[in-house]
Amino acid sequence: MKEIIQKLTEISAPSGRERVVHNAILEELDGYIDGFRFDPVGNLIVWKNGSATDRKKILLDAHADEIGLVITRIDDKGFLRVDPVGGLDPVRLLGARVCWGNRIGIIDVEQETIADYRKNIKELNYDLIYADIGCNSREEALQHVHVGQFGTYCAPFVDLGERMVAKSMDDRIGCAIIVQVFKEIGESVNDLYGVFAVQEEVGLVGSQVAGFDIHPDIAIALDVTGCSDTPKGFKRMDLALGKGPAIKVKDRASISDEKVVDLLVQTADDHHIPYQMEVLIFGGTDAYGYQITGSGIKAGTLSIVTRYVHSPNEMVDYSDVLHAVQLLKCACNKNL
Amino acid sequence: MMKWLKELCALHGASGNEHPVKAFIRSKLADRSDAVYEDGIGNLVLLRKGAGKSAKRLMLLAHMDEVGLMVTNIEEDGRLAVMPVGGVDPRVLLGKPVVIGEGEIPGFIGYQAIHLQKNTLTVPPEWKDIRVEAGFTKKEQAAEKIPIGTYIHFHTEYEEFENRIVAKALDDRGGCSILMDLFEDLPAVDYDIYFGFVVQEEVGLRGSGAAAKLVCPDVALVFETTTAGDNPELSPARWSTHLDQGVALSYLQGGYALDSRIFELLVDTASRNRIPYQCKGRTVGGTDATRLAKTMYGIPSGGLNIPGRYIHAPVSMISKSDYQSAVDLARRVIAEGKIVQIMEGSL
Repeated sequence: MKEIIQKLTEISAPSGRERVVHNAILEELDGYIDGFRFDPVGNLIVWKNGSATDRKKILLDAHADEIGLVITRIDDKGFLRVDPVGGLDPVRLLGARVCWGNRIGIIDVEQETIADYRKNIKELNYDLIYADIGCNSREEALQHVHVGQFGTYCAPFVDLGERMVAKSMDDRIGCAIIVQVFKEIGESVNDLYGVFAVQEEVGLVGSQVAGFDIHPDIAIALDVTGCSDTPKGFKRMDLALGKGPAIKVKDRASISDEKVVDLLVQTADDHHIPYQMEVLIFGGTDAYGYQITGSGIKAGTLSIVTRYVHSPNEMVDYSDVLHAVQLLKCACNKNL
Repeated sequence: MMKWLKELCALHGASGNEHPVKAFIRSKLADRSDAVYEDGIGNLVLLRKGAGKSAKRLMLLAHMDEVGLMVTNIEEDGRLAVMPVGGVDPRVLLGKPVVIGEGEIPGFIGYQAIHLQKNTLTVPPEWKDIRVEAGFTKKEQAAEKIPIGTYIHFHTEYEEFENRIVAKALDDRGGCSILMDLFEDLPAVDYDIYFGFVVQEEVGLRGSGAAAKLVCPDVALVFETTTAGDNPELSPARWSTHLDQGVALSYLQGGYALDSRIFELLVDTASRNRIPYQCKGRTVGGTDATRLAKTMYGIPSGGLNIPGRYIHAPVSMISKSDYQSAVDLARRVIAEGKIVQIMEGSL
């Protein structure tokens, strides 16, 4: 499954510019789905019809977008000013490479004096940083980029064996898991929908509308979550790489529906699949979007514990990913 | 052009109190509408049916409300304590005239005279320090005429000079005025156009979702007066938009990356027709487009903005030529009609 993870994480597709990821996913799913469509805001929705007469509709969601940077201004010397697309702490950008299309840029901070530099680093914000794409003038820069162009980190997928590192595990790992579930599930008992949602990072946009005319019985969001297993990691949480996918109970945006939590826990217990329970003290997932859609959809989240979320180097554990696929396959084929 | 802007800005319609604006727009346009709707929350929607068989629906949207104040308490000495309705910086209130309630009782907002200040000159006032004076000297006397919950509006004469317009409430009577101008001189098209004048944008994008559910549009364009920020005291790298450089197009805002197909269509249409435009240099702040994208099945939305200096204050300033370019671009986009085909294969 590492090939598909590499393929999806190396694509540059920030919020609002997800089509290239969608196309890669459709290519992977060729022959494994009964149909697909794009909805008005650009969500990719795929489905596989169930075989049981009393079948239910299960919706699996992962967001296709990743955080990024948008060009807000190009100055006379060809330097760029940028704003974040989603929650991107500028601290993560210093020394990072970013790309707009094929053009790579470097981020640094204004510094007229050493004292300035120290002060600016401490109070870092988007007014103090700029991007350098190697151009000498505004005119030259305009041949490569334009104001309003969305870019992302530029960082390759790295395979460390049991661990994997990429710029956009959030949430291409969720996309890859759904693709794998569709590939492996064979004949499906329930109607299975896969939503590759847009614009999660800027405001959970896609998930608030994707379920509107599907009316699924349950929706499960696949997303990354935090971890506490690093030096002086979060001491109010208990989440570790390699201990299995995390079944979310609560985060800042949603409280998982009891029935969804029970389904995942029960399935994992029945099939001896390792899992951990998750209460995330920050953040949110697309589960919120489904819960507030129409008259409400029962929703929960299955998470992949991830280190360094929203950095160019998001790290996950391969066995957690494989166990998530196994858990979802079993859960989706249950008679609900 | 700008047939109604002066009158629109003179109306008092803070969030939740939009009825004077709604009544005005209705009185001017209702008889020429193919249908007129008012919904539960207070939005006004006017339909102009297309000439052809197209069942497509374009929604044009502007909010009728402005920021203002509301009376929260009356002091023993007859002065009024207030809270903001929408985002108001208390610093812009000092020394300004206001009108109180439907009777438009004149009032003003005072502050300690400079003679009495020592080291507080540069300290911004807090809401607890803001009082509105209306000439009353006793609580009972004020309470008789001004119940708790009374709206207070800025009181500013509309002025035009050179290429400038200065008025209160340009955010978003500017957008309402553009919609009315478009209504007056609407290109003949084969699809339906809904003019949505919505309530309560300034307090949290509350009206637009209901209007969208009434209309079920295929696509929407939101017209706003947006932050200029090209004040001399700010470094140009921090400016959001520049007055006189044309209609400002948005690609990203609070909670939503505006539909890329619409953004590109707007840029392309402006370029082809040599209509001056600029792209917004800041991405903070939301508009009703964020709400529309998250409503029902998801309504793809774009944003056209008039750059405005000093918005959310008793005086705000726009450029006539920027306003004109917003109208010109919207009219071209409507006439060419590609906007309603956004959903069909142009991805």
